[in-house]
Amino acid sequence: MKKLFAVIKKEYKVIVHKKSFIIMTILTPVLMAGMMFVPVLLMKVGRSEKKIAVADYTGAYFQALSAKPQENKDKNKGMRTMESVNRQPDIESSGLISFQEVTLAGRDAAALVREYEQKVLKKEIDGLLLIPADVTSKRQVSYYSTSVSDFTTLRYIESTLRTAISKQLLLEKKIDPAVVDEATREVNMETFKVKREGTTKSDSGMDYMMSLFMIVILFMVLINYGQMIMRGVLEEKTSRISELLISSARSTAIFYGKILGIGLAGLTQVALWIVLGAVLVSRFSGLIDSAILSFLTIEIALYFVIFFILGFFTYAIPYAFIGAAVNTDQEAQQFASVLSVIIIVPYLLGISAIQNPNSTLTTVASLFPLFTPILMFMRITTALPPLWQILTSMGLCVLTIWGLAWLGAKIFRVGMLMYGKKPNLGEILRWVRYK
Amino acid sequence: MSELALSLKDLVKDFDGKRAVDNITFTAKKGEILGLLGPNGAGKTTTMRMVMDIIAPDAGSVEILGEPFSEKVKDRIGYLPEERGLYRKLKVMDTLLFFGELKGMKAANVRERGRRLLQQFQLEGYQDKKVEELSKGMAQKLQFIVTILHDPELLILDEPFSGLDPLNIELVKDIILERKREGKTIIYSTHLMEYAEKTVDSLVMIDRGRKVLDGALAVVKAEYGRKFVKIQYEGDARFVAGLPYIKSCRDSGREMEVELDDLSKREQLLRDLIGKVEINGFVLSEPSLQNIFIRKVQEGAGA
Repeated sequence: MKKLFAVIKKEYKVIVHKKSFIIMTILTPVLMAGMMFVPVLLMKVGRSEKKIAVADYTGAYFQALSAKPQENKDKNKGMRTMESVNRQPDIESSGLISFQEVTLAGRDAAALVREYEQKVLKKEIDGLLLIPADVTSKRQVSYYSTSVSDFTTLRYIESTLRTAISKQLLLEKKIDPAVVDEATREVNMETFKVKREGTTKSDSGMDYMMSLFMIVILFMVLINYGQMIMRGVLEEKTSRISELLISSARSTAIFYGKILGIGLAGLTQVALWIVLGAVLVSRFSGLIDSAILSFLTIEIALYFVIFFILGFFTYAIPYAFIGAAVNTDQEAQQFASVLSVIIIVPYLLGISAIQNPNSTLTTVASLFPLFTPILMFMRITTALPPLWQILTSMGLCVLTIWGLAWLGAKIFRVGMLMYGKKPNLGEILRWVRYK
Repeated sequence: MSELALSLKDLVKDFDGKRAVDNITFTAKKGEILGLLGPNGAGKTTTMRMVMDIIAPDAGSVEILGEPFSEKVKDRIGYLPEERGLYRKLKVMDTLLFFGELKGMKAANVRERGRRLLQQFQLEGYQDKKVEELSKGMAQKLQFIVTILHDPELLILDEPFSGLDPLNIELVKDIILERKREGKTIIYSTHLMEYAEKTVDSLVMIDRGRKVLDGALAVVKAEYGRKFVKIQYEGDARFVAGLPYIKSCRDSGREMEVELDDLSKREQLLRDLIGKVEINGFVLSEPSLQNIFIRKVQEGAGA
């Protein structure tokens, strides 16, 4: 046991004293803070205004588009797009889009489009919206632009036009304008997140971002610490320190000591992040979107720690045996990239499943021990899975780690002292059966 | 407690069907220096690794300090591997602390002994330097300190002199002798027989995995008799090899070691030399280990 602690102590000390450790420890919460403040700042400074030319063949709707840019506020609330995150009421009312009416002067649509295509390419304008004369019956307008992926703008145009057309039709039926206004009023949706400790007002877009952000951090930390172990083991092997180690202590003490030492260093970093994060949040809570505040709970922090620990051991041990099995950095990188793929799968699954965290596929995948650390954490941040699922996934993960630890210690003992050729799978299996 | 520090019995190790160590048996008494001699690739390192339980023998047994190898006995041995290596990013004192604690020492103890040893090896002032900042020679010294840090009863040194400059060779030799005076046992391997000759009490010679000779240095030498003459000369002495009473002859250009078939022929030899070469020295000598080794190997090959 004393020797185990000696190894833990040394591994821990080496990492914690590294410059990169200190830099990452400070930088990550700063980046995180940046993630929270920058959108707000960006809004304040203002984005470049979009200039859209409108060729209105009806002559009736340009008014509606340009007259009430304020009304697109909240239009996208509840929509799960990145854009919705960036939306802040004060910017939308400041008019992100300016519409310019095109003087038609009897030109037909085709000629107009040809002319404005050039203007769009020359960036004189951002887009051309073509409203044909028969829009009321056909409900078909066209939009020409170099970028047609700005959903905020497109949805704004769509919904404003729809409202304007409805109004127009109702007014033609001689309905009281007050009633028309009332009938075409926007619906405003607020989203609430139901949590065990109480329901809070929440922005689903914000939730998405935060949860994505947390998974990215978890993923990066796991890969980083895993590779650290791999390199450490490989260093001991190539520098032949392994002979000294094994002639001084049990190989299990060295193996577990190494993993625990590096794991503790990782845990220290995560803990520091949480503390720094908490300090930042409490000091600047006025500046942070309430949606973020409602996301960053103690519960989430706790789960982050738990899944960091589970993920660390699940991946660290395979990384350690890559380090022990190979002879050179290049070989190690080859094997490590295979392992990275195994870690990337739950990460990608997590990102794509973030909008539907309780689907059968995601649920089953999150119970698979190699995927649990990232995927179950993602589900917890977004969907609050049943407690039994969380506990089952943790249990399975612990069992897997236990098995890997047993296997890893054996491979480590033989691999560390095996120099020269690259071992094949059959050989590695034989190592496991040694005494 | 047994008076044997180490006892190997019929040790065998095969690598991919090739026999690296073939039935090696020898013992080392407590308090002596034993040299494990042989050319490169003879199986010295493999033998030492089996002693240290780094690789398992295919057959045979090892007893260290009177008991089979165990975790407990590890703390009483100091091992210097053939290929040296330390953590490059670790500071010197941290390196000592780690390896000391790994041998079951207390931190305070390590610091105290470590400081003393650093001083003895002229490394004081480097405590807080990283290993990678040390010169190669300094790193070698540090490695040696790591080996003896926990004051082991038995030192197993694989090629302790390789890669050292003459000054450090002297230093290491002094340390080895100092340990011996303290009653410690030292076993070291080397292919440099001249060094071994000056320090070992007994020796084991191995060649191609087989033991060719072992015993106390004095006994081994006596066995080969004082039939050797060492001649220092200037000129062309190639004719000596052709003289009828010369059994063997090792010519190094300006020094020649000659084995006579009878010691009484020494005056004859001196007469034959006079006038043909300029003689700077002419002494009766014991056979060098190098010579004995070559003889033994040739005998083995002939048999």
